[in-house]
Order: sequence, then C-alpha cells, then structure tokens
Amino acid sequence: MSTSRSISTVSRFFANYGMLGVLALLCLYYSWATLKLQPRLGADAASALARELVNAPEPPSGVLIVAKDHADDIQFADRLAAELQAADIAVVEKIHGEPPAVRKALERLVAAGNLVDCIATTEDYRSIISNISKRMPRLTNSQITAAESYWWPTFLLAENLLNVANQIVVIAIIAVGMTMVIIAGGIDLSVGSLVALSAVVTGTLIVAAGGLEAPPVAMFFCSLAAIATCAAVGTFSGIMITVFRIPPFIATLAMMQVASGLAYTISRGGSIYQLPASFTWLGRESSLLGIPNTVVLMLLIYALAHLIMSRTRLGRYIYAVGGNRQAARLSGIRTNWVVLVTFVISGTMAGLGGVIEASVLKSGGPTYGLMYELYVIAAVVVGGTSLAGGEGKILGTLIGAFIIAVIRNGMNLTEVENYTQKIVLGLVILGAVLLDMLRKRTWRGLVTED
Amino acid sequence: MNRFLLPLIGACLLGLLVLGGCGPSSGAKDEREQGGKTPEAVIGVSVLTLTNPFFRDLADAMKDEAARHNYELIVTSGELLVANQKDQINDFIVKKVNAIVLCPCDSKAIGTSIVKANKAGIPVFTADIASTAQEAEVVCHVASDNLGGGREAAKAVIEMLSGKGKVVVIDRAEVESAMLRVQGFKEQLAKAPDIELLGILPGYGDKKQSFTAAEDALQSHPDLDGIFGINDPAALGIVAAVEKAGKAGRVQVVGFDAMPEGRIGVKDGKLYATIVQYPDQIGRKTIDAIARYRAGEEVEPKILIPCTIYRKADADIDPTLAASQ
Repeated sequence: MSTSRSISTVSRFFANYGMLGVLALLCLYYSWATLKLQPRLGADAASALARELVNAPEPPSGVLIVAKDHADDIQFADRLAAELQAADIAVVEKIHGEPPAVRKALERLVAAGNLVDCIATTEDYRSIISNISKRMPRLTNSQITAAESYWWPTFLLAENLLNVANQIVVIAIIAVGMTMVIIAGGIDLSVGSLVALSAVVTGTLIVAAGGLEAPPVAMFFCSLAAIATCAAVGTFSGIMITVFRIPPFIATLAMMQVASGLAYTISRGGSIYQLPASFTWLGRESSLLGIPNTVVLMLLIYALAHLIMSRTRLGRYIYAVGGNRQAARLSGIRTNWVVLVTFVISGTMAGLGGVIEASVLKSGGPTYGLMYELYVIAAVVVGGTSLAGGEGKILGTLIGAFIIAVIRNGMNLTEVENYTQKIVLGLVILGAVLLDMLRKRTWRGLVTED
Repeated sequence: MNRFLLPLIGACLLGLLVLGGCGPSSGAKDEREQGGKTPEAVIGVSVLTLTNPFFRDLADAMKDEAARHNYELIVTSGELLVANQKDQINDFIVKKVNAIVLCPCDSKAIGTSIVKANKAGIPVFTADIASTAQEAEVVCHVASDNLGGGREAAKAVIEMLSGKGKVVVIDRAEVESAMLRVQGFKEQLAKAPDIELLGILPGYGDKKQSFTAAEDALQSHPDLDGIFGINDPAALGIVAAVEKAGKAGRVQVVGFDAMPEGRIGVKDGKLYATIVQYPDQIGRKTIDAIARYRAGEEVEPKILIPCTIYRKADADIDPTLAASQ
C-alpha cells in the first residue's frame, strides 16, 4: 500500500513541477554547447603557472611578471612572486599597468641591460606582450608563458550563473503578482509601465530628498512611496475591474498607457541620474554568502507567496474564484475583494521591480520595464499556470522564469542573433506550454489507471 | 496519440534550440571558422540599434577591419534600451572578451556597466556616442567631429543665403552629438554679420515633430530665409512644412547625416545641402585604436572624424545614388 502511495506522491510532484525536467534539460544542453577553454585567473592562475615553471626541465633563471592593475591581476602577481621565490627562482620585477605603461617598463628594463628570458603573465595579456616584444629585438627570444586554460562550460561559470539569477530577478518578482492575478481569472498588462513609473517616482523623490546627499533612510522611504504609488494604480485597476466590471484586459491595457504617460511626464522624457552610489546596495551588492541581495529578496518573496497560496485562506479563495466564480460567490467568498487584492499585489510587485531596476542602473528612466509584461506572462504560463484561471503553482512560476532566463542567457552565450532570439523565444514558449498541457494529461492518465 | 506527441514536442523543442544556436550568427565567426585559425583577440560590440543604416555601416566596417587584424567580433545591439546593453556587457565580461566597443543607449546610465568592465580589466572603447559618466574609464572615443560638422553646416547656410538672411535651427537638445552640432553652427554663424539667428526650436530629431516645429517657425517669422535641421529626418520634415506653407524656393533647408534619404533630398533639390558623416571611418578607426592599444602604443582619448558638405553637385555624381535609381 505504501509503495503505491509514494508512487502517487512522486507522480503528483512530477505532474505539478514537471517543468523542472525541462529546466534541467536546458541547463545540460547549454553546458554542452558552451564548453570551451577558459583562462585561469588570479591566485589560481598563479599557482598553476608556478607549478609549471618550477617543474619544467630547465626552470628559468629569472622571471618577469607582467599584469594589469585590477584586483584579480594584483592577486596573480603577488601569489606568483611568492611561490617562485619559495622555489628559489628569482623574480626580476613585477610590472602592473595598461599596455602603454608595460611597453615603457620593458623598454626601460632592456635599456638597463637586464636579461629577460622568461615573462610570466595572464592569458589575456599573453598576445599583447607578444605584440610588444615583436617590436623589441632584444626580447624576441624571451619565453612568454601564462597558466594553461581549462575546459569548462561558460554557462556554468559562477559569474554566469549569477548573471542568470540577476537577469531574472525583476521578471520573477513581478511574476509572483501576475500568477495570483491569473489564477484568480484575470490578467494584468500594466506591469511593464508600472516598473517605469516606480523607477521614475523613486528617482524624483530621492532627488527631492537631497539627490547625491540623500541619506539611506530617505532612500528607503522614497522607494516605499514609489511602491505605494504602484499599489495605488493596482487598486485603481482592481476597482475598475470589480466595481465597474471592465474586463481586466481592457482596464489594465488602459492603465498601461496611463502609467507610461505619467512616467514620461514626471521625468520629462529623460532619465534621472543624481542618485547616490549607496542606492545600488539593493541592486548590486551581495551580503549573504555572496548571493546578490536581489536574489535573496526574490527567494523570500517566493517563499512568502508559496505559503500564502498553499496554506492560507486567501490562497484558497484565489484558486476558488479563478476556478468557478459563481460557485465561489455562492459559497460566501467575497469574490470582488479577492480579485481586488490580487491586482493590488500585482501593482506592488511591479513597483518593487521598478525600485530594483533603478537600483541596478543607479538611475530612474521612463523606458524601463518596456515589454516586461510579455516576459512575465510567459514565465507564469511556462511555469504551468493556466490562463483560464483556477490552477497554477507559485513555485512553478519560479521555474518558468528560470527557463526563460536560461534560454536567453544560453542564446547570448552561443551568439544567436538578436532577431533570431525573439523567434526562438516565442516558439519555445509555445512549445513549453503545449508540452506541459500534454504531460499533465498523460501523467494523470497513468496515475488514475492504478 | 498523446504518448507519441509528448516526446515529439520535446524533441522539437530541443531541435529548435540547437538550430537557433547553429543558425546565422555574427559574420566574423564564420570567417574565423573558414580561416581555421584562432583569433588574436575577441571584441564585444554593442551598437545603439541595427535598424539605423548609420550603425549598420559602422558595424560592417568594424567587421571588415577586424578580419584584417584576425580579431573575432561579437556584434549585438541595445535597440535603444540601456538595460539590454547592461546585459550584453555582463555577457561579454563572462566570456572574457579582450575589448568592448559601445555606442551607449544612455550616456550616463551606461556608466555603471563600464565600471564593471573596468574592474574586470577589459578595455572599453566608445563609438559615435560618448559616455558622460565620470567614474567610467574609456580608453578611446571615436566619433564624427560634430562641432566641426555644425560649423560646416553654418558655412553651407551662409553660402546658401549668399551671406545675408534670417535663419532658425530645429534641434534635439537631449543628445550630445546634436548639442555639439548646434554649438558649432552658432560659432560659425557669428562670423557672418548679416545673417540673423532668430531662434532654436526642439524637433527631437524626428520628422513629424520637426515638421510641427518648422510650421510654427514659418508662422512666427514670415521673413524667414533658411532653416538648419540637425539630422536628415528633421530636415525632410522641415521641407514638408515649407512646401505646405507654399514657401518652397523662398525658404531653403540644410540637413545633417547624408543618409540615403538625405542624399536623395539634396539631389532632388529639396535640401540645399546635407553634412556627411563617415560611419565606416568611425568603425575602422575604432578597430585601429584597439590594435594600437594591444601593441602597447599610447592611444589618444578622442579621435574625431571630420564631416564634409554634400551639395547637389556631389549628389549628381554620387555612385551610391545612381545604383539605387
């Protein structure tokens, strides 16, 4: 008996979160497609190169270390110098700088009569040093080495995975609100414009609160005010839809135009720049184990939303209203309130998205959020939520958002043309939804046959 | 039936992605594969938009010059949105390109992305549109000499009016290149004492809006002799307004850019002259600057390409126009 119960639990898990399989497949495919030689960086490159030089059949007598002067390269030079000196190989000099400075330093060394038979550098600088040395006859016999590169998919590089997460954060957060709206039987087309409105309002208020001198407290309240503005717009849309019975598609389409126009009017068509550098804390810093703040925020919101939808009355009411509005009303649920709440949440999430965009770009502009509603709805739908309402999972939306992010990132890494990307993305969304619909029917068929 | 459809759709999905990946990609990559040798450097490029022939010419010239140095070029476009360019720059940093070339969609907001590239040790070059963010380090900015171009436009206007008359400028205040053109125009015009600048109206570099602005100018200054539009779409909008007011021949117009529309306008006599920019030269000089940087030479922070006047006589012997007609 317990085996069939666990089988049915597993089946239910796959029926509900099967898109996880699609995500896994995509990650595998792009890992394979972006496999290439990656240059080693920083301390890692230094250790590998030191090992190579020390264990060479004829270790060099003196090594010249050349690198740029940013954090990674300084680390590389210091580590390499330390390891070489520990192995009794002389370090002639450490040169840090841009190519013109490097060239001058090399000319100085050569003029002073120093023998430079081995130049150790980074993979990036290898060909540049080679160019420079070709123009200097005394250096033509020097050996120029860098640490050997290693095979690894570009897709799976830590920085790339972080990019993927960062790129999807705003869409994913807005998708939380959109999921609730769609499950309750509506749709919200105004979210993209609300992102712009929120970014512009945040920027304008911060400038009014002191601009570059604005204190963090002021920035926090300005952001809250911008989010509240968008929540107010969401409330307005909700009232139009529930009290005046305007179809959600039309009401939010109209608000999309109004919000966008407001954003352009407030900002007078230009971006708002005088924002303090500390404002980027939300959008660009990482405080927890190197995970970006925006990603932490996104995960918290999803956890909260999942709890609301699966464990609270509001959640159950949302599903009921979307599934069968009449039955829900007759059971005593105040359907208008439920629908209104979903639009308020959607507006709030869009407002939060706008604040994050402004934080990332350190400016607020009326062109932000352009076409976002398309990507948000795509994420919701790919995640398994039905546009007819009544069913869908919040965590499914998160998976849907990641699928879209992975595809966009993967296409960028495999250098697919801009315009081809649009075609591919559209067709993939279609295919993913078809796949999901068919899969649900097939799995249910299997489970009920038990 | 469902059982077969399910894996079939899954396979189609995967096939789509593979095809998308193998499909048309940046031309330089194909060239590299044909040549069979590893590129000396990989350069990431993000232009303003590929729908404007100016930037297409710029990108094509870059690809051509890059092939000669054995550089691989990854060409993308921000399509007027700075958020797209931010993502593209992030991808360039992950791919560890050896240089980045930008035509910023927003001269200030692009600053944060350039700083990120600086921190990763990737040199950044800008073409046509500069970055005005103070904390962003750009190795070299290559652009048309818009200031000089404005002066050339003023020379054309002075010539057009034989040194005497009243003019109006229809400009686009938000864009740095347009501001420089107007500045150069005013400087040169000041040297002609008999020409009076009656005013500067905003046209947003757009045909329709410049049309409206020109209509207003013609209404308020019935003795107007000439109008300078800061790009060809603006100039053609102004011409339409002049024709509508029945003043064709009485009021003359000078444009800027010398894109095909503008050249045809000059040939047909609607525009007195336009100012030629050389996007292909901008593209070539940018790649050349990258090559010199990589050879350890000092690269000047700004390289300006001079603009020239394009009159009807030039249009009559222009091979590009003859080919299209």
